[in-house]
Amino acid sequence: MSTVLKTGDAIPALTKNAYAPIAKDARNPIHTDEYARQQGMRGALIPGSTLLSYVLEMLYNHFGEKWLYHGRINVSFIGGGAVNDDILTAQGRATSVVQEEDGARVYLDVWMVNQQDEKILVGEASCIP
Amino acid sequence: MSLEEEFAAIPIGFDLGEVEIVLDEKTVGDRAAVTQWQALGVIEKFKAAPPGQTIEIHPRMQFAKFTGLRSAIWAKSEHEFLKPLKMGSTVIIRGRVVDKYIKRGRFYRVSEFETVDENGEILMRSRETGIHVE
Repeated sequence: MSTVLKTGDAIPALTKNAYAPIAKDARNPIHTDEYARQQGMRGALIPGSTLLSYVLEMLYNHFGEKWLYHGRINVSFIGGGAVNDDILTAQGRATSVVQEEDGARVYLDVWMVNQQDEKILVGEASCIP
Repeated sequence: MSLEEEFAAIPIGFDLGEVEIVLDEKTVGDRAAVTQWQALGVIEKFKAAPPGQTIEIHPRMQFAKFTGLRSAIWAKSEHEFLKPLKMGSTVIIRGRVVDKYIKRGRFYRVSEFETVDENGEILMRSRETGIHVE
């Protein structure tokens, strides 16, 4: 679990073969192939909450239980999103450590790339380890 | 009603209502399977749902209220985790619209959510920006 991070240190990346079930009657049709392609996407988009969970798992893997009490994350979804069978890798790198009342909060840049090394999610996370 | 008209009609402060969820083994397990969550120590050791378990509920709450909304995509997602979502507990998610704006012809809506336990203690705070799509 958590090791002491210094500015510039990376945490272990997490790679997943993206998958989300596609329901033809999905309430949000951006998660169906037909509508998503009409909107210029490659296919049914993987929900943002699923992409976010991949990043959260990477952060939990590093910070462990502390993440459940002190975790913060703020991300933007960029690029063309992700579709089933994309190979997605979540990554994070420490940018600063700021002393707070409860302890030293570590800030990280976090991002996710697909198999073409295109970023589809970028943002910042932090935790008091 | 057009997308533009519907967007214009959304009042800031609009109540997205609340949803109650029991974090039983099936509910948590099903979500863990969908997200391919493999760090099962959070469930087995800490007796808590994986962080972010309830985030997928937020879009559903919005679609339930904006019945004319055809589609939407996430632009931004911000979360603060304050306490674990304990296995077997009941949590309540509340949401409201806090801002909206039009940028480069796209319609952005900002909503805030709180996940609380049975005693009203806040477990997680969220702020999400979605883009309404025709």
